[in-house]
Amino acid sequence: MRRGEDLTLLGLFAAAILVPLAITDDYLMHLLIMACFYALLASSLNLVVGYLGELSLGHTAFLGIGAYSSALATMQLGLPFWAAMLLAGLFAAVGGLVIGYLTLRLEGAYFVIVTLSFAQVLRLLANNWVGLTNGPMGVSGIVPPRFGPLVLESKHAFYYLGLALAALGIAAVRFYVQSNLGRAAVAVRENRNVAHSVGIDPFTVGLITFVLAAFLAGIAGAFYGHYITFVGPEIFGFGFMASMLIMVLAGGQGTLVGPILGALLVTLLQEYLRAAQEIRLSLFGALLMLLVLVMPRGLAGLAQSLRRAG
Amino acid sequence: MVELALQFIVNGLVTGAFYALSGLGLTLIFGIMKVVNFAHGEFYMLGGMLGYYFAGVVGLDYYLTIVIVVAAMGAFGWLVERGLIRPLRSKEILTTALATIGLSIFLVNTTLVVAGSTPQRIPTPFPSKPILLGPIVLNEARIFAVAIGAVAIFTAHLLIRRTELGRAMRATFQQREAAALVGIDVERVYGITFALGTAMAALSGVLLCSIFAAQPTVGDLISLKSFVVVILGGMGSFAGAVVGGLLLGVAESLWGGFFATGYQDLVGFVFVILILLLRPQGLFKTEVARV
Repeated sequence: MRRGEDLTLLGLFAAAILVPLAITDDYLMHLLIMACFYALLASSLNLVVGYLGELSLGHTAFLGIGAYSSALATMQLGLPFWAAMLLAGLFAAVGGLVIGYLTLRLEGAYFVIVTLSFAQVLRLLANNWVGLTNGPMGVSGIVPPRFGPLVLESKHAFYYLGLALAALGIAAVRFYVQSNLGRAAVAVRENRNVAHSVGIDPFTVGLITFVLAAFLAGIAGAFYGHYITFVGPEIFGFGFMASMLIMVLAGGQGTLVGPILGALLVTLLQEYLRAAQEIRLSLFGALLMLLVLVMPRGLAGLAQSLRRAG
Repeated sequence: MVELALQFIVNGLVTGAFYALSGLGLTLIFGIMKVVNFAHGEFYMLGGMLGYYFAGVVGLDYYLTIVIVVAAMGAFGWLVERGLIRPLRSKEILTTALATIGLSIFLVNTTLVVAGSTPQRIPTPFPSKPILLGPIVLNEARIFAVAIGAVAIFTAHLLIRRTELGRAMRATFQQREAAALVGIDVERVYGITFALGTAMAALSGVLLCSIFAAQPTVGDLISLKSFVVVILGGMGSFAGAVVGGLLLGVAESLWGGFFATGYQDLVGFVFVILILLLRPQGLFKTEVARV
């Protein structure tokens, strides 16, 4: 099982490196870049939703903190990209520590609502605190990342950066999952009280997981800001949250491959449905309902069941 | 200054009455049935939009419109419970949350496609001439809306406390197996409770959109604020939801009026964060949330 998943990951990674070398279409590259971004983001959410088993609807808080931090760090403080990105991850992780500390003692439904509330508070702050965030006009014209003399401008350059970040992030998640911490988190997910009774502290395990997830989301946010060159308050909004959720769910929560598949699927689907732009989101909603009813373990879960049956 | 504060308070009580009504609907669904219903705001929104359609576009009588909207949305709620909630009842609570998120997204965007995004006011038979109570400005529409809301709340209270159906509901949500054992049709109770909650949200929507405007995108915030009201009051507490709703309305109005309207929505979120940290059982309950 684990060997199979590792092979799948390596296979995807190899394909991800090789395939774009043959692509010249800028638009297609854009889609792949977004897929990398979403793969990282969805993997970070998967840590909380899939492995810890808590539905956090406030994950955009960390995405947004990361995006704004990185943007402001390069624009206002003149920091180089790599420093800004690490700062973004750090700030997001601190955000995760604070929010996690305050919320992880709450029961399922309450946790859902209070995490959502935090994200909404941040959105309102970003929208109104014009002095810091430029309000609804956001931070625009974000400079492209530069590594010494190398400035990233082409789609391919951004793609390989995104791929590297996603790969590192997912490697981190894999390391976590196969560590004692990851196993403890799954134990908490399956039965909090039993886990507690064998000496696992659900709160501490939850908090560490949450902080890690926040860090990764912050890094993703930094990448997003520098690629799109614009960050606005809507990054804290429910739109991103819904996309993330669908990716984790459709791909298969609690698996390593799931978020990647979900990210690919949803990014491509968003494009395919662009022709039906108006009803795109309606279809998303319908898809989400359908997934929950019919395929709650997502694509990865489907693959697992097929493998077991065959 | 004092007159301004009084006006804000009265305005806040008006909006608060609708937060309370919508919150009561969610108390039934979330507080008692334990369904995390993120589409609640959309039920409110559909109430408003349908109200506009029947009264504004079709031109039906205002009072008849209210009755039709409530009945139609009640039926819709029953269907949602049947089709979406019931199949997931055995799964964990968060699966249902995800499903209702999907429903919410679907409803908002379908309505946007069908009705466009322009805010619409529901035409009422009330004159818009203001009524002055000392320094405070009101009008007939607002008074009527609050009155109906109060009647609805009181009726719901009577239903739960004094009727056979109400007893069946309370029994089911206290201990489902036992209720089934004594012959209560549990599935029917679930359906009716959800329908009732939906109808209350829709009533709140159609009333409030007679005063302000109806718009497909109001749902998200209303969902959240309804959750705030339920949590603030204490899950399952009727009185709590009423007080919570009024409190939220007044607090928002005062904050928005004296400080900054942009930050008005912040009040609810701050409330819910504080309540869950300091007194998770809400203002009116005595049990606690978790380890």
